Amino acid sequence: MLKGHLDAIVLAALETGPAHGYAIIEAIKSRSGTTFDLPEGTVYPALHRLEQAGWLASNWMTQSGGRRRRVYALTKSGTAALADGRKAWRRFAEAVNASLGGRTWPA
Amino acid sequence: MAGVIDGYVATLRRELEFEPALARRMAEEVEAHLWEAAEADPAWPSPDAERRAVARFGLAGEIAAQFAVDAVNRQAKRTWMMLLATIVVTFIAMRLRVMWLADFGDAMSALAPLIDRYAFVAALAVGALGWFAFRKSLLPLAICLVTLVASIAAGILRARLFVDGAPMHVLLGAAGEVALIGLLSFHVVGLARRLKRTATLRRIG
Repeated sequence: MLKGHLDAIVLAALETGPAHGYAIIEAIKSRSGTTFDLPEGTVYPALHRLEQAGWLASNWMTQSGGRRRRVYALTKSGTAALADGRKAWRRFAEAVNASLGGRTWPA
Repeated sequence: MAGVIDGYVATLRRELEFEPALARRMAEEVEAHLWEAAEADPAWPSPDAERRAVARFGLAGEIAAQFAVDAVNRQAKRTWMMLLATIVVTFIAMRLRVMWLADFGDAMSALAPLIDRYAFVAALAVGALGWFAFRKSLLPLAICLVTLVASIAAGILRARLFVDGAPMHVLLGAAGEVALIGLLSFHVVGLARRLKRTATLRRIG
């Protein structure tokens, strides 16, 4: 279930600013209270896919220790995609909540 | 002695060899990630810290399989676009033949237009069905390729390009068809190879 929403979760993790893969994974873990314990490597195919879609841009940057890191940032279309993803998730979550709660959705 | 992280990065790079540029980029990116993860481990510096960083990262085969699935999706999209272009050009070339070529009154003049037309209609029908129902399947694309080759071959035979010559616009249409069918074949073969590789990676991942 998480896999279907991984792209939106990655986009959301970059909303606060550019970051490299390790920092993105740490942000996802921290925001989810470690509920999302997905293999760290799964974030890289998602980053690559989102970059191919034009929703992320990336650059190599050299850190203070001399290590090169690929840093990802949201593009304008990525920000729009994140807003769409949030709307879709809210609709889905409300419908699931209503169904599990025995209500009809939309009310 | 090669460390745990070095070994893992070498394996991932090997698994991603189907896209050399991606393999190089991921090797560097993943290596930096793993060192940072290992350095954050309480047991750092030790092989155990490296081992835990690698374990949290996931199996190299599984990660390569995810990249391979994305590569299949991109290749499938390109192949369908190429099929659409081939169908449009084949249709235009077919109409040019109908408008500009005389009936020679022999068996070839009677049979070739039928093959040209109905093979094209079959390609169109299978292509439409495949696009709506089996977009990631190779079969509709392969059927379209074969039927379009039949349509184009019949059209070229009808135009007697090699025997009597034909008006320049008919020749140009045929040349466009041949060029596009070549490109379409290239894309279909590329998709078949990517599908096979993805299946292999998923099996061993």
